[in-house]
Amino acid sequence: MANTGTAQTGARTFFKGISRSRESGLFLIIIAAFLLLALLKGNIFLSLKNFEGITTGITYDLLMAAGMTVVLILWGIDLSVGAVLALTSVITAMLLRAGVSIPLSVALGLLCSLGAGALNGFCVSRLKIAPFIVTLAVMSVARGIALVLSSGYFLSGLPEGYTHISEGTFIGLPMPYFVVLFVLVVLHLLLKNWKFLNQAFYVGTNPQSAVLSGINANLVTFVGYLISSLMAGIAAIFMSSKLAMGFSQFGQLAELRAIAAAVIGGASFTGGSGSILGATLGVILIAIISNGFVLLNGSPNWQQAVSGIILLVAVGVDAIRRRREGRE
Amino acid sequence: MGDMLLQLDGISKSFVSNKVLDAVSAEFEKGKCYAVVGENGAGKSTLMKIIGGIYRPDAGKVFFEGKEIHFFSASDAIAAGISIVYQELSLAGNLSVAQNIFCHREFVNGLGFINWNRLYLEAEKIFEQMGLKIDTRKKVGKLSVGMQQTIEIGKALSLKSKLIIMDEPTSALSEKEVDHLYEIITLLKHRGVTVIFISHKLTEVFRIAERIIVLRDGVLVGSEETARITREEVIRLMVGRHITDLFPEKGASRGEVVFEAKNMSRKGVFSGISFALMEREILGFAGLVGAGRSEVARAIFGADKMNVGELVLRGKRMRIRNPRDAIRQGICYLTEDRKSLGLFLTMKVKSNIVAAALGRFVTRMGFYRQRKIKQQSMSFVRAMEIRPFDDEINVMSLSGGNQQKTLLAKWLCAEPKLLIADEPTRGVDVGAKAKIHKDLRVLAESGVGVIVISSELPEILGLCDRVAIFREGTISAILENRNLGQEEVMRHATK
Amino acid sequence: MSDMSTTTDRSLRGRIFFPLLRAVGIQNFCLIVIIVLVFGGMSLFVVNFFSPANFEVLVMGFIFEAIMALGMTLVIIAGGIDLSVSAVLGFSAIMIAFFFKARFPIALALGCTFLIAACIGLFNAWMTNILRVHPFIATLAMMLTIRGLALAISNGENVTSDFPNQFLFLGQGRVFGLPFPIVLFIVLAVVIGVLLKHHRYFQQVYFIGDNPRAARLSGIRVESFIYVIFMLSSLLACTSGVLTASLYDNASNSYGINSELRVITAVALGGTSIVKGGTGTIFGTVLGIIFMSIVYNAFVMAGINPYYETIVIGSILLIAVFLVEFVRKLETRIQ
Repeated sequence: MANTGTAQTGARTFFKGISRSRESGLFLIIIAAFLLLALLKGNIFLSLKNFEGITTGITYDLLMAAGMTVVLILWGIDLSVGAVLALTSVITAMLLRAGVSIPLSVALGLLCSLGAGALNGFCVSRLKIAPFIVTLAVMSVARGIALVLSSGYFLSGLPEGYTHISEGTFIGLPMPYFVVLFVLVVLHLLLKNWKFLNQAFYVGTNPQSAVLSGINANLVTFVGYLISSLMAGIAAIFMSSKLAMGFSQFGQLAELRAIAAAVIGGASFTGGSGSILGATLGVILIAIISNGFVLLNGSPNWQQAVSGIILLVAVGVDAIRRRREGRE
Repeated sequence: MGDMLLQLDGISKSFVSNKVLDAVSAEFEKGKCYAVVGENGAGKSTLMKIIGGIYRPDAGKVFFEGKEIHFFSASDAIAAGISIVYQELSLAGNLSVAQNIFCHREFVNGLGFINWNRLYLEAEKIFEQMGLKIDTRKKVGKLSVGMQQTIEIGKALSLKSKLIIMDEPTSALSEKEVDHLYEIITLLKHRGVTVIFISHKLTEVFRIAERIIVLRDGVLVGSEETARITREEVIRLMVGRHITDLFPEKGASRGEVVFEAKNMSRKGVFSGISFALMEREILGFAGLVGAGRSEVARAIFGADKMNVGELVLRGKRMRIRNPRDAIRQGICYLTEDRKSLGLFLTMKVKSNIVAAALGRFVTRMGFYRQRKIKQQSMSFVRAMEIRPFDDEINVMSLSGGNQQKTLLAKWLCAEPKLLIADEPTRGVDVGAKAKIHKDLRVLAESGVGVIVISSELPEILGLCDRVAIFREGTISAILENRNLGQEEVMRHATK
Repeated sequence: MSDMSTTTDRSLRGRIFFPLLRAVGIQNFCLIVIIVLVFGGMSLFVVNFFSPANFEVLVMGFIFEAIMALGMTLVIIAGGIDLSVSAVLGFSAIMIAFFFKARFPIALALGCTFLIAACIGLFNAWMTNILRVHPFIATLAMMLTIRGLALAISNGENVTSDFPNQFLFLGQGRVFGLPFPIVLFIVLAVVIGVLLKHHRYFQQVYFIGDNPRAARLSGIRVESFIYVIFMLSSLLACTSGVLTASLYDNASNSYGINSELRVITAVALGGTSIVKGGTGTIFGTVLGIIFMSIVYNAFVMAGINPYYETIVIGSILLIAVFLVEFVRKLETRIQ
């Protein structure tokens, strides 16, 4: 392709690049939704309390959507994240109530989520069982264990120091935001520039070619599922710290929101593509739309239906987009 | 002179702005066998699909049995008596032979319930027409590829096809199955059925077809009886120029031992495989499909296990447990099937080229050196003439020949000490073939051990200095390629 | 003397064992053996297991999933999957309760409910066919949406309404001494099983599941068949929902939660490959259903904590799928 490079062409290609890029498109939609809601329900929408509600909610979803993106890139899926979140919160809460020190409880809780990730990773990479079956099964197992251990009750009465985890501030903003931002940035950079994690794109595009090219597909896949479950574990720590309890019903449908966000952000169910930035924008978009719907309607019972519809739309739009790209 | 079954008059077809067929006219008689040849992208498949009703021509007319026809779908064509047997077979593996033959046309009673006995019987009758006795209750998935193809032909017969089109019918068949196919085609011709097949294998074309049709860049450049034209003339028509150097000069001198395999065995697959590879020579693996060549290659590469065997590369004993070990120690394997086993189709050319050598382009902490990657990849693109000269486009959009060059580039980038190339020019146009052969020779001259596995005897004989002939899991002979003839090779390969 | 008994034994093995093995396939044979063993074991250890009253409880405990499993089998053979069935069950129960609350006559209420379910099935098929979304994702999203709609419409509460007495017959009535749902299941299983095995239209599902491209070339209308299959699956789920509402004289939006997992497990146990379409039988699914019913009942009878249920079901699913794929790979390697 000839390189013409006059200033005008440069500007045109810049704008074409922006409009073509998925992330920019999402950004524009988010701005649009934001403005729309500000217009319609400005007084409630733009209140500090509403914002806090939205942003607290998305910290958990951001983590899990990022983890889900990694798994989707690997041509897999992780339906167990919500259940792993619940289980981690229950186990951590139980340890705290039994008097175990906070650092140790957190460590053991995270270890437990890593264990779930290891189980997922092992069954998918070594036993070669289909990811959705494995994670579906692990989801029910994890949820079940959480139920059994907690007998369905809230596990509260956690030491004060623990709730500080989510309350502690850093330059006036709560800790969780920084941790999440840090995690997202690191994950994004690693995925793009670190050989080991970048190999996930190869593995997800064509696992056999990857193996025959000398890539350790099994290990990369295993680590991918570890990351996904670890994200759920970290989210669990923040959630149980903020709400001061462990509960077996945490994270219901979290996996579906994570999938929706990741797919909106550019991940495909057939592997080989995905972006942390895109998933982040996806989470924000879903959060704003859900919030908007609730504000406009007033009934929280519609939250789930809205999430479902958003997922449907995301999936449909993604499918159409892929078809059109395929034709070119 | 038989009557005309099919007449094409000025057929043109474009996809978006790409003109694939340009005013192609041809005639096909009843009961004769035609071969359509041409480089990749010449338009052969498109032409067949137009005849078969899958595409509609932008211009031109098609006359079948004297009448002008307009097919709107493959079903229309099938109903008129035209069937296509594809390379990727269209059978349901879990169902019986009879069910596959009569798919969607099963014999039913008034309520729609299948009459099983009649189904199996009628299917058996179809095969009797072909002179075969087949258990039509058997599940298709359990049969060999050659048998499955025969069943597809049987299906076409049962549909009372007057014209059967076959796309690369012999690419996945063993020698015996190819002979079997010829018998069936001969039988079909006797029954007045016309056969048109697309093939890259000129030897077979000359053996079985009565007339050759050559397409080049969408234009029909030649139509001649096979008895009245030579191979070289066909190649010239296909390529548009003389290809006298399809194969580069063979190596003159030979150096020391580069690689040695000692007594490799894998139960039920191959046994007692021993050979040595010298510097500056290209060793060929010849033999029938299924003789174990690719399996041996995969075992050397660590992609498959072997029970016993010792591998020595430049005097050092190798311990290889998986492809990663192999690549790290300098052994590379260019796979048979580039699409599913070698390339990452939805990724860029650049990403594909560095795929097997990622470790060479990272810092100590494992982060990519992007500039170095770009440099290397563009240098390979230029050196190997991978068209268009752009490493940022998806490999999927490249032609077959350029895809194969990308695959070769990937392995060259991994700096091998031994390269085993399995069917390096399969499905590749003649121009790209010549380039790949030249690159392999240059590689051998530079001191890298090169083994070429090929099912095309002319390629083995034209390219390799020595030939190891495989037969049923063992090496039956290793011969110097001095006046070596195809018959002698086949003799060792079969017996 | 001993000679004669061994010859009789051998011929017995030859006459029953091997023909049975060949007839039903390895997977189903193993399942039958396991069922007989578990059944025998439970009879010995659990009091009252081997009684007609318990049989009824056993069967009724899984009957709604059983009905849905019939439809699920067809969808999975076709190469797809329908995760929305559990949501359709709950939604249908809520819907029919609302219709009765609005004093619809029975026929109209049933008609409207089934119509809505059919539309859901059509939408699932539309996303699969036209938008080319993978059925797993499409029905997963649908499940979320329909569950959410049920929740929203019912405002999170149970919908109590006066179900007419004739309607209550569907869930609570008896025919030939058996509860109506069981009789309905038997009829449906036989009809669908026979149709699948012997009717030309339904046999198409094997072609479509194995090689949709080839099926299309043979003239099979793949798209229209997919519509029919998903509609059937949703209609059967709706049937289960209506029966559930009738049985409990109540409609709760929590009906059927997680049942899609149990349904898929039953189908997977029966030898239907979830990963690759084109295989599966109703007979196998029925065996899977029997196995799941026994497991379910075992929980209740042995007084095991119901919370353990999800753990066990999840594990069974893992093992079932793993085994099916293992057997399949074994079979391809044998020849």
